[in-house]
Amino acid sequence: MKQCRIVVTGIGVVTPIGTGRELFWSNLLEGRSGIGPVQSFDTSAYNVHRGAEVQDFRAENYLFNLDAAHLGRASQFAIAAARLALADANVEIASLDLKRAGVSMGTTSGEPREVERFDDLFINKQLDRVGPEFLKLYPSHVIAAHMARELQFAGVNMMIPTACAAGNYAIAHAFDVLRAGRADLMLAGGSDSFSRITFTGFAQLGAIAPETCQPFDRYRKGMIPGEGAGVLVLEPLSSAVRRGARVYGEIGGYGLSCDAHHMTAAHPNGDGAVRAMKQALDQSGIEPEEVSYISAHGTGTATNDRLETLAVKRLFRDAAYRIPMSSVKSMLGHTMGAASAIEAAVCALAVFHDRIPPTINLEEPDPDCDLDYVPNSARERTVRVAMNNAYAFGGNNASLVIRKCESSN
Amino acid sequence: MRNRVVITGAGVVSSLGDSSVSLQSSLCSGRSAIRPVELFSTAGLGCPLGGEISLFDAEKYLGRRNLRPLDRTSRLVSSAAQLAFEDSGWSEVMRSNEEVGLVLGTMFCSVHTISEFDRRAVEAGPAYASPMDFSNTVINAAAGQTAIVHNLRGINSTISTGTTSGLQAIAYATDVIRSGRAKAVLAGGADEMCFESFFGFDRAGLLCRSDHRAGDFPIPFDKRRNGFALGEGAALLMLEEASFAHERGARLLAEIAGHGCSYDCLQGDDDGAAVAAIALSIQRALNDSFTLPHEIDCLSASANGSRLGDRHEAHGVFTGLNGQTHKLPITAIKSMLGETLGASGPLQVAAMLETMRDGVLPGIQCLQEVDDDFALDLAGPDNKEIDVQAGLINSVGIDGHCCSLVLARCDVN
Repeated sequence: MKQCRIVVTGIGVVTPIGTGRELFWSNLLEGRSGIGPVQSFDTSAYNVHRGAEVQDFRAENYLFNLDAAHLGRASQFAIAAARLALADANVEIASLDLKRAGVSMGTTSGEPREVERFDDLFINKQLDRVGPEFLKLYPSHVIAAHMARELQFAGVNMMIPTACAAGNYAIAHAFDVLRAGRADLMLAGGSDSFSRITFTGFAQLGAIAPETCQPFDRYRKGMIPGEGAGVLVLEPLSSAVRRGARVYGEIGGYGLSCDAHHMTAAHPNGDGAVRAMKQALDQSGIEPEEVSYISAHGTGTATNDRLETLAVKRLFRDAAYRIPMSSVKSMLGHTMGAASAIEAAVCALAVFHDRIPPTINLEEPDPDCDLDYVPNSARERTVRVAMNNAYAFGGNNASLVIRKCESSN
Repeated sequence: MRNRVVITGAGVVSSLGDSSVSLQSSLCSGRSAIRPVELFSTAGLGCPLGGEISLFDAEKYLGRRNLRPLDRTSRLVSSAAQLAFEDSGWSEVMRSNEEVGLVLGTMFCSVHTISEFDRRAVEAGPAYASPMDFSNTVINAAAGQTAIVHNLRGINSTISTGTTSGLQAIAYATDVIRSGRAKAVLAGGADEMCFESFFGFDRAGLLCRSDHRAGDFPIPFDKRRNGFALGEGAALLMLEEASFAHERGARLLAEIAGHGCSYDCLQGDDDGAAVAAIALSIQRALNDSFTLPHEIDCLSASANGSRLGDRHEAHGVFTGLNGQTHKLPITAIKSMLGETLGASGPLQVAAMLETMRDGVLPGIQCLQEVDDDFALDLAGPDNKEIDVQAGLINSVGIDGHCCSLVLARCDVN
């Protein structure tokens, strides 16, 4: 049986280097960094002080039905990204069968600021000041729920909190939902807000860089926590063609695996990562040498850089050296559950524009990292197939293939 | 042609027993797990009642091993996984040869771990926060820890859709097997009883205000219901592709005939929209399983004693089944387990497996007078003897999520 083809027709992003597809993409190609001193909370008790935060975000610009005061920051980002994606796809909500319009989102922490507020009141013995809003603001499912309420989407409503690979999981799920005919249109992506809990944890793991994020550089010092949201509009190709939509790219397939090895450290041979990439290629019917771009997980920690390089070599062999692989986390920091969703948007834009964003801050490559990481400047090149890699706590690995949509039948 | 999906075993860790058999026997003897909470102080809260697992000890299931990195939620899930493997005959050797997946539904994973980690960092300074606890602050921590304990290298997903998380996880895993992505996936859900979530539900005014000393508990569908009790637990079902399970000689407990979901985007604020969403979810599950309303032999309802939620479900079921609910045998096991959040749907499935096996549907404890306009004539406190070919499991969330699943007697052999 011929499988229904699923395409990306809209992109909405809220990131540390800009909100909205056009600004984001031009800043990305120019190699702009979104990293600066943390403003969300006082970091004086920490030995690191920098992060990648979303600046000048105005939730009111995107909320027509809900009140920003009743939404956590990750939900606000998610709604903004969803509105931007729908506008980008030229979808009129009124034209949709809303019972068949769904949401599939990923996150690492949900709305951590709500629990942080609870914790502050707990410590100060002021829990009497907590009201019914805590339950409406905190649980992670509220991100997808608030999006659906704002947009009146009454179909599938999924939240997949698989940590730093969650965006890819959510997009993969939306792809399956559409293929199974359970929805006509899906908003899929991820969202996370800058969080004290996340910052504390990564600081305690010694994983945060003091200044900036330098994936694959010999003198890299770690990752930079970030925040943001990325949402894609996904629909069957037939529906995109019918409404004359611009198609950025086609979802080829995906692979998910688990290391079952360690909560926070990847498998030393990169086994799980290899299996996820291989499944994604097999499902897409693509040979390794056909891949034209890899969007690396590329957090900027020594372990990640080396293992990811190893895993790519194990799967792609000689071809690994010919495939550009860049890390946009060098500019965006690690936006957690949003990261792989934003990076999926990058892959869709790369196959659409035939441009590859750089890995910035890469001056002297780590001798163990000898692939083509697209150092410091963007590149023009035909991108037929892009692979989006994401790895997470819990040993979760997720690879997604986005390819040019080459024939429309 | 899509693959068929069967259940070959269940792992249950609940306040009413640690197997589907003991759960069913407790439910059918009218035992309730709901009593004053002992895990933490409920002083200053409106509701003192909950359904906690007293004396839970993961070593009983997992043996002597280093369980220190696992918090309560992860221990519940890892224990349930062990029980599910034993029940379905999946040995360690089989698990090392075949990739087994895990799809876990959970509303909070551990908000207790998250909150404690943060409070320690704030009170003692960030340098005193524990890196080991940090790895448990992610919402997929229990799924990740369980994968490590049991060497599960297949798909590993966590689903959070409030109280429907567990049933939604089973639906997700069903599609993973149907589409040929995996042969064997452990699917279900879990949530722990902890102060932080209990406090949230209490403040939201959702917990029951019954006087337990007078023998009053949360009573689904009853005229006097005034909220639910919070519970805890973990339940995982071993789902397998039917021919694969058949070839390995597995015992086939039931088939997942189909599932459906929908979302009430007004989140319960409008009665009509809430009822329509529940009805749509049921109709989608019937369509997906090629089942007609009159072919449903019984319903395991999501009802937990909440004023609004139970009303919406009663009317949603009526609409979803084309008005054919007057003679429908119905149970609501949250009357005895409390609202176990992520575990609730999978516990309903586990109990339904037993009803299919022994032909007894547990009554709804304490139910005296069904609310006036609920067309559920057969809802009552007494057990019913029935022959179930197809059972409907319903799960309705507090923020608009609806999920339904049709379980069918296995005729694959």
